[in-house]
Amino acid sequence: MTEGLLKEIFENFNQEIFEVGEFRGQLYLILKDRNSIKPLMRFLKERSFNHLQTLTAVDYSQLGRSYRFEVVYQLYSISNRCALRVRVPLKEEENIESIVEEYPSANFFEREVFDLFGIRFTGHPDLKRILLPASWKGHPLRKDYPLEPEEKPEDFLSLKEFKEILATHGIK
Amino acid sequence: MAAGAARNDLDRFGIIFRASPRQADCLIVAGTLTYKMAPILRRVYDQMSHPRWVIAMGSCACSGGVFRTYATVQGVDQIVPVDIYVPGCPPRPEALIEGLLKLREAIKRESKNWGPYARKEVAI
Repeated sequence: MTEGLLKEIFENFNQEIFEVGEFRGQLYLILKDRNSIKPLMRFLKERSFNHLQTLTAVDYSQLGRSYRFEVVYQLYSISNRCALRVRVPLKEEENIESIVEEYPSANFFEREVFDLFGIRFTGHPDLKRILLPASWKGHPLRKDYPLEPEEKPEDFLSLKEFKEILATHGIK
Repeated sequence: MAAGAARNDLDRFGIIFRASPRQADCLIVAGTLTYKMAPILRRVYDQMSHPRWVIAMGSCACSGGVFRTYATVQGVDQIVPVDIYVPGCPPRPEALIEGLLKLREAIKRESKNWGPYARKEVAI
């Protein structure tokens, strides 16, 4: 399965592929840039990769690479019992195309990546924060995000103030 | 949970779990509190009728515990007034019972907080 598949991928996407390899028995594929992700995903879905296991990102900003982020797609073919990892390098402030049309389950994954890394997915139907409150500032899984920001959420500060006002009147 | 179940049995102290904060006298905060959850905790506390008390159970509720991160409130006493802190990760059932008994002693020492001589509410 994998050999035939790799051959087919090379035939169709030879220009876009940076590296293909196997690490600890896991097949991976690194793209040169973000432009070919949507056609590649459509192609892979047609080739029986019907399950998007997860979609996540990595911040490589402290490793001195030419790009900052890497978006990682974990695909699985249930019928062929074959997994494939697709990695896409992404520079700061670069957008990547959403694959919600190909894999509807990518909807929440992409929202999570946007929430925690600040990577924008163009064409996403409803790209807003999924875990953190909507009023949150910053993206916590970026390496330059502080461990404990000095600025606290506004509603939390108003609650704290409310509690202190009550305490000055002796009310519990 | 273990403190309320058969072996330790909080019922023998007359402590009964209620399904609603409106019927409760004491709120046990039994875990970590995030900034997202803080307004909801405050709302639950505000729904309790006077007089009311709060127990912070476990390191997370007392001080944030090991979670010194962007999302974790460093102690629920920033949001609600805490009467008793029960440390431990997690605290033994005996520790929670000890905390509840300490709270009972503290309530006995209180004066003019409830009953016919209760202090009147201040309008804010």
